[in-house]
Amino acid sequence: MKIISGNEAVALAVKLARVGVVGIYPITPQTSIIEKLAEMKANGELDAEIIRVESEHAAMASTFGAAIAGVRAFTATSSQGLLYMHEMTWWVAGSRVPVVMVVATRAVGAPWNIWDENTDFMSERDSGWLMAFASNPQEALDLTLQAFRISEDERVYLPMMVGMDGFILSHMKTNVNIPSQDDVDLFLPSRKQPFVLDSESPVGMGNIFPPIEYMKLRHSIHEAILHSEEVIRKVGIEYQKITGINNYSTLNVKYKLDDADYAVVLMGAWAGDAMEAIDELRKQGLSVGLYRIRYIRPWSEEEITLALKDKKAILVIDRATSMGRGGPLYLELKSTLHHEQMCGVISGLGGVLLNKGDFKEIISRFVERAKQGNAKGITWYYPKGGEKIELKSPRYVEE
Amino acid sequence: MSLSLRDMLKSNSLLSGTSACPGCPENMAMRMVGMALGNDVALIVIAGCSSVIQGLAPKNSYNFPVLNIAFAAGPPAASGMWRAYRQRNKNTTVVVWAGDGGTADIGFASLSGAAERNENFIYICVDNEAYMNSGGQRSGSTPFGAYTSTTPEGKKENKKEIMFIMMDHNIPYLATASVGYPHDFVNKLRKAKQIFGFKYVQVLTPDPYGWMFDPSKTVEVGKLAVQTCYWPLIEYDNGKLTVSPESLHCLDRSTRRPLKDFLQIQGRFKRITEEEYKALENYVDSMWEKIKKLMK
Ligand code: SF4
Repeated sequence: MKIISGNEAVALAVKLARVGVVGIYPITPQTSIIEKLAEMKANGELDAEIIRVESEHAAMASTFGAAIAGVRAFTATSSQGLLYMHEMTWWVAGSRVPVVMVVATRAVGAPWNIWDENTDFMSERDSGWLMAFASNPQEALDLTLQAFRISEDERVYLPMMVGMDGFILSHMKTNVNIPSQDDVDLFLPSRKQPFVLDSESPVGMGNIFPPIEYMKLRHSIHEAILHSEEVIRKVGIEYQKITGINNYSTLNVKYKLDDADYAVVLMGAWAGDAMEAIDELRKQGLSVGLYRIRYIRPWSEEEITLALKDKKAILVIDRATSMGRGGPLYLELKSTLHHEQMCGVISGLGGVLLNKGDFKEIISRFVERAKQGNAKGITWYYPKGGEKIELKSPRYVEE
Repeated sequence: MSLSLRDMLKSNSLLSGTSACPGCPENMAMRMVGMALGNDVALIVIAGCSSVIQGLAPKNSYNFPVLNIAFAAGPPAASGMWRAYRQRNKNTTVVVWAGDGGTADIGFASLSGAAERNENFIYICVDNEAYMNSGGQRSGSTPFGAYTSTTPEGKKENKKEIMFIMMDHNIPYLATASVGYPHDFVNKLRKAKQIFGFKYVQVLTPDPYGWMFDPSKTVEVGKLAVQTCYWPLIEYDNGKLTVSPESLHCLDRSTRRPLKDFLQIQGRFKRITEEEYKALENYVDSMWEKIKKLMK
């Protein structure tokens, strides 16, 4: 047990996983992960090649090159950096090569904003990566370690990213249980991958695929994501053997949910505030529970349906947007449940902080509307009376 | 290092059945890479004709392991790759194969980054002076006056001279070559293979389709580029610049073959005016003045 930040926890997980190559490029708030790794390397604690590349695009490409040449590879990023690597995240997934990345989430410009929001992370949903999202530094460490094992499972062979709320998890320090190297070595066997590119097996990777073969490859990625669900549960149970932490046998996490009439669904660090709010609301007689989504990909239709289908109404709180629609989490849930009474709240964008009081307000308002059979649609919630922006009247530009 | 034609022909880095156009200079250059570097090579091909030439998956007409990758990703992927090989105690030569667009334009930042870090691989720029794979649009490497599909009036700017820019990166080895002179190219690649660190080799690959000449004349055009001193053959080894034997006559303006001989054999300079021709000649002069200065 050690008091460390989310970023330190991730760096430790990378070291414990005996990663071979790390491509590093700084971007707030991920930077202290790569600084920590560089420091470990300088101290001789880390036996990995560190490549100090010139961009995030290169960070992903260098990690990819190392992975395809047969070693465990890692990188981390945030926000604009993730968007800048977007081309390569697709390339990595399309190559079916195991790679692990951590995303310390952050708002995307314009305008500049360094604070937390999950839109960067959520915008990778279609790329073919497995995507988990942590809610505390312990989970950041656990999920990063598990990510190596999951992505190198032969039923998966896909890259995996772990998200965590920027600053809120990346920089917040809490007690974290750190497994020993021996235990991790037991949990994480040496690397397996479908294709290794070297002169012993002169394969060609990534050259032009005829349409039908291309489509089959895309199909295989889809199927691998579906199959990963089972792998994730098994790996979660295996992980329990080395750490004693027994919360990974399911993809997503319930809190006071089974006996609740109303459900709140969200992901990430603000689950803590939401849980405190739910505790208090329960004391006031409100029958409400929490369902925390931990895996965006795979998206466990079955677990989610089982957990939520009997609820009278569902509230989904998103820290991200799909502009012109709802929040991405809301849209995903909507396509899973087809529930009559489901509404979405978008909040917390660009680092807007919500406290327990805000969650109490959002949740009790939702329950009231649900009781009137009116829990529908999307609202944007601003704590303490923030106001939305209005554009100026049009200005004609003289030629 | 002496090299006989018989030795060179032993290699088969290029298997039969490529999808290259007839007379393709990239095919020729790829064959020379095999002649020079042998079998223990891992090749990274960035977007360009060479991603198509190798044919449709699962076939591959290059007799190397090949990673095809998006434009700017070649140099960093090679960085990851050779380091992975080092971790696995393998001595494979990693080669990035990129066109002039991927080198001078979209991939330049990552090329520069890998050079600055002195990553241990050979970067080969296959310079056909335009984006040939997408139909011959201008690139930063297209010369002044040349017709391309996006400069129908002739390019108004000079060629971006990546070789000089790369020299300024203080890399251990840099060379230029032309498919017109295979021995020279192969020898330079062999030398590059022996050196640890970043090696940059830029090979002029005259493209019959983009440059508009008869496909039987690729080698001739490649030779003319050197003979008229349009394309210098040089080597920059450990901080020392030398001019290769084929280009030595260019150091003296009076022994140069007229630039016209190189321009006239192609269609892409058809429309240049006498004035533009003079400007191009002046440009070639200035390039050689620069080379002379750097030799001192
Ligand atoms: S366009 Fe030029 S470089 Fe491309 S395949 Fe044809 S001849 Fe070769």
